[in-house]
Amino acid sequence: MNTNSNTYTIVYSAIIVILVAAILAFASMALKPKQDANIKAETISQMLTAAQFYTKEECDEMGNDKVLEAYSKNIKRAFVINAQGDSTRALGTEAKNIELQDGLKAQDLAIKNGKNMELPVYVFEKDGKEITVIPCYGNGLWGPIWGYLAFNEDLKTFLGAYFDHDSETPGLGAKIKDDPDFRAKFIGKIADFSQVPVFDIVKTGTKKNQPNAIDGISGATITTNGLRDAVNTWLIAYKPYFEK
Amino acid sequence: MNAKLKETILNPIFKNNPITVLILGICSALAVTVEMKGALVMSISVIIVTGVSSFILSLIRNTIPNRVRIIVQLVVVAMMVILVDQILKAYAYGIEKQLSVYIGLIITNCIVMGRIEAFALGNKPIPSLLDGLANGVGYGLILVVVAIFREIFGSGTLFGVQIIPQSLYEAGYVNNGLTILPPMAMILIGVIIWIQRGIQKDLQE
Repeated sequence: MNTNSNTYTIVYSAIIVILVAAILAFASMALKPKQDANIKAETISQMLTAAQFYTKEECDEMGNDKVLEAYSKNIKRAFVINAQGDSTRALGTEAKNIELQDGLKAQDLAIKNGKNMELPVYVFEKDGKEITVIPCYGNGLWGPIWGYLAFNEDLKTFLGAYFDHDSETPGLGAKIKDDPDFRAKFIGKIADFSQVPVFDIVKTGTKKNQPNAIDGISGATITTNGLRDAVNTWLIAYKPYFEK
Repeated sequence: MNAKLKETILNPIFKNNPITVLILGICSALAVTVEMKGALVMSISVIIVTGVSSFILSLIRNTIPNRVRIIVQLVVVAMMVILVDQILKAYAYGIEKQLSVYIGLIITNCIVMGRIEAFALGNKPIPSLLDGLANGVGYGLILVVVAIFREIFGSGTLFGVQIIPQSLYEAGYVNNGLTILPPMAMILIGVIIWIQRGIQKDLQE
């Protein structure tokens, strides 16, 4: 058979591509539930890390099921708010039926368009005190960045924060996730709604006694600016809720 | 086992190692050798991808139209890499996140395409499979050696377990910060190449 004829080449390529596509589609469908469970546990462990229940490493060691249990044990209530800051819908918090408001990208768009907002609020309880965790989402240098911000009972003081990213530069922008010292800078700072920006991440160094700002990361200006915008956009969206 | 088959398996591991002799796959060797866990998973992924893609392409080698040869190779290699990535995402999510883009970049790892072009397209499936696996092992071996050094001296741990005793830290010992950065991997690979060329005189130019 002439393997160099045009017809053979075209038919052969088509068959190979269809075959490979079928194998990949099958693998993707078969593994999807497991992958989704991993992503859910990852999201929850990011929240637990931000709220200072565990460190991220402890969460990773616990495994998916225990992370879900820990969430269920420590959460007090979870719900979705609208643009006016009113709760519109409760989210399930039982270990078997944990509901998260995923799709932060869609919510980010809703905030920017100013309509159809359905922002999640997760209220945890630790030693009788309420901890409120809210997400944020924005753009870094190469792709999306997102994270969770945890607030004390006064809904003003940061208790902690955790950030993640899709494809920031390792060693530079990726430090928003990899460098615990950067995350630790948030602790004890405040979100000051009377100022613009509400919370600042400064390239040139913070001024003394500036409670609503932290230093940025050297060599990662665009990532940290993106993070500042993400935090501010989302904090302002939550302002009506926070001020109630 | 005949001599030729033995050579196929043993050559890539030391005498013709893809990293130290052919200088292929350096990029990932620098990036994922900070910790043993990542290096090991990366090595296993590369072993599977090189082995299985060589095997599949060797099976269909006589049917591949010459003009789209490289494209057919790429499609098969890409399929294998995506499969490995999907399986890691399902069963080793933490490590997959840590290895990030480097799993996807196995597609561009010259070892994979190089072995297919140079060996699998001209040999029977079983020797091709062994050749692919052996090259993956040769690659993994260097990764593991580099990762052992980097994890012990950079973080004082091995597989996340503390190796350097706490009393030493209290006495003033400090982890070497350079070791966890890519330049140290470059230096270490250079040292390994140096040692190998010292032993194997025929490699000296």
